[in-house]
Amino acid sequence: MDNQLDYLFRHQYGKMVSVLTRVFGLAHLETIEDAVQDTFIKAMASWRTGMPDHPKAWLMQASKNRAIDLLRKIKADDNRARNWQSGIAAVALNELFLDEEIEDSQLRMIFTACHPSLKAEDQIAFALKTISGFGTREIAAALLSKEETVKKRLSRARKLIVKENISFSLPDPKQLKSRIGRVLEVIYLIFNEGFHSINKEQLVRTELCGEALRLVKLLLKKETYRLGEVYALFSLMCLHAARLDTRINENNQVISIRDQDRSKWHIPLIDLGSDAMVKAAELNSNSTYLYEAVIAVEHIKAKDVESTDWEHILYCYDKLYELQENPMHLLNRAIVLMQLNKYDEAKHQLDALEPSFMQQRQYLYHCAMAEFYICIDDIIMAVHSLDQAIELVTNISERNYLIEKRNRIHVQLQN
Amino acid sequence: MKDFMLIFVGAPYEELGLSPQDMQSRMAKWQEWHAKMDKLGIVKGGNALHAKAKRITSTDRVVSDGPFVEAKELVGGYYVVKAENMDAAVEIAMDYPDFDLEGGVEVREVIVFG
Repeated sequence: MDNQLDYLFRHQYGKMVSVLTRVFGLAHLETIEDAVQDTFIKAMASWRTGMPDHPKAWLMQASKNRAIDLLRKIKADDNRARNWQSGIAAVALNELFLDEEIEDSQLRMIFTACHPSLKAEDQIAFALKTISGFGTREIAAALLSKEETVKKRLSRARKLIVKENISFSLPDPKQLKSRIGRVLEVIYLIFNEGFHSINKEQLVRTELCGEALRLVKLLLKKETYRLGEVYALFSLMCLHAARLDTRINENNQVISIRDQDRSKWHIPLIDLGSDAMVKAAELNSNSTYLYEAVIAVEHIKAKDVESTDWEHILYCYDKLYELQENPMHLLNRAIVLMQLNKYDEAKHQLDALEPSFMQQRQYLYHCAMAEFYICIDDIIMAVHSLDQAIELVTNISERNYLIEKRNRIHVQLQN
Repeated sequence: MKDFMLIFVGAPYEELGLSPQDMQSRMAKWQEWHAKMDKLGIVKGGNALHAKAKRITSTDRVVSDGPFVEAKELVGGYYVVKAENMDAAVEIAMDYPDFDLEGGVEVREVIVFG
């Protein structure tokens, strides 16, 4: 998707923090992050005249040297500090900087970030900072929070890690499923925020989607983590990501799926997603991510909105709700019913829902209602519903889209 | 052609809490600037400086630890470039990437003796 070096510093940040945490332990996380920051500042000065031949290796070596410096600064108990300079310890240090070990350290960091002891809101902030190398300002923008809030979340997470004495390790095989489940939830949220942001300015944040994909790929590298639901999440993200470029145009306007240029949907991602889906289905046909992936693939397969297999999508939403009583599934199900011209059923479904559960996405409920009223030709109520949606929507592009839609159908009232 | 020193003044990066992405894009601007000057053959040299400083003053040669100025007045580095005159040197300094960080450039002509 992106040029490998575009996010060089970010990715290297995550890797180096993970490796150094493996060496020194979670208690020294803040010192480690400062140290890694220093290596970048040095790189900035040193690379002014141009990129070195092997920037990743340069950064790794710099952080290895920093590790040895840190050893002198951090007050180690016994004579551990002195031992690191000796032969055996030096070999051990070098081992941790090997590729597979770096990956292992990153995985440990992911599981630490998504540890059940941490509060849900803190997990994402912590993950984005320590693994994805996002700055606090960037995280605040991504999560529609204030920078101060993000700093508090990070601080709370770090304190809790020390207080609960969370170890920097991979989960016990007995708890693997539930621990991976938490990780997948966090990654899903990161992707979701990138795919359809509640952020004011930018509706689509490709780098968050890219980051989510990168994290799942990291999980999949380890054979024991190749669970059905991991493949399923990967599949679903690839399939959605394939459409990312067509969701907004150069003028930052929203393009509905009706009008997206399907020829521009990214085939390599579709192929990746489809392959992953097959693996997912073979391993675990009952994950919510799999049903979401199947829904995504139905949209991808269809020539246009009318020829989409809505019956199959309806079935998927039924299964989704069976597995996960999330009212969002019912909302989506109502919209599918409208595509099948089952307006009474759709209205019934919508009336049973309480929009306040949707918090920042509440406007979607009113959008669905508007769709219903348009289907039954009640333009007055449709305009009223859109007005409510416009009141609640936070993103500028979406608001403009809704205003334009409202004005368009409002004209019909005058005729 | 004369030599001019472009003295970069501003808070050290360590104090700015820049994200990795910020640093990478900023570094790209420094690289672009250097490449531009290199192509014109006008860079004679330059260095970035550590923020830690020692100052030696008075006839007693008192050594004190620094830094001594407000962070944003700290000299972070310099380039020495070739230019026709001060205006031309100022023009070159316009590409300094850190104006948005409240940094600035002081441009001084190098004295040539003889």
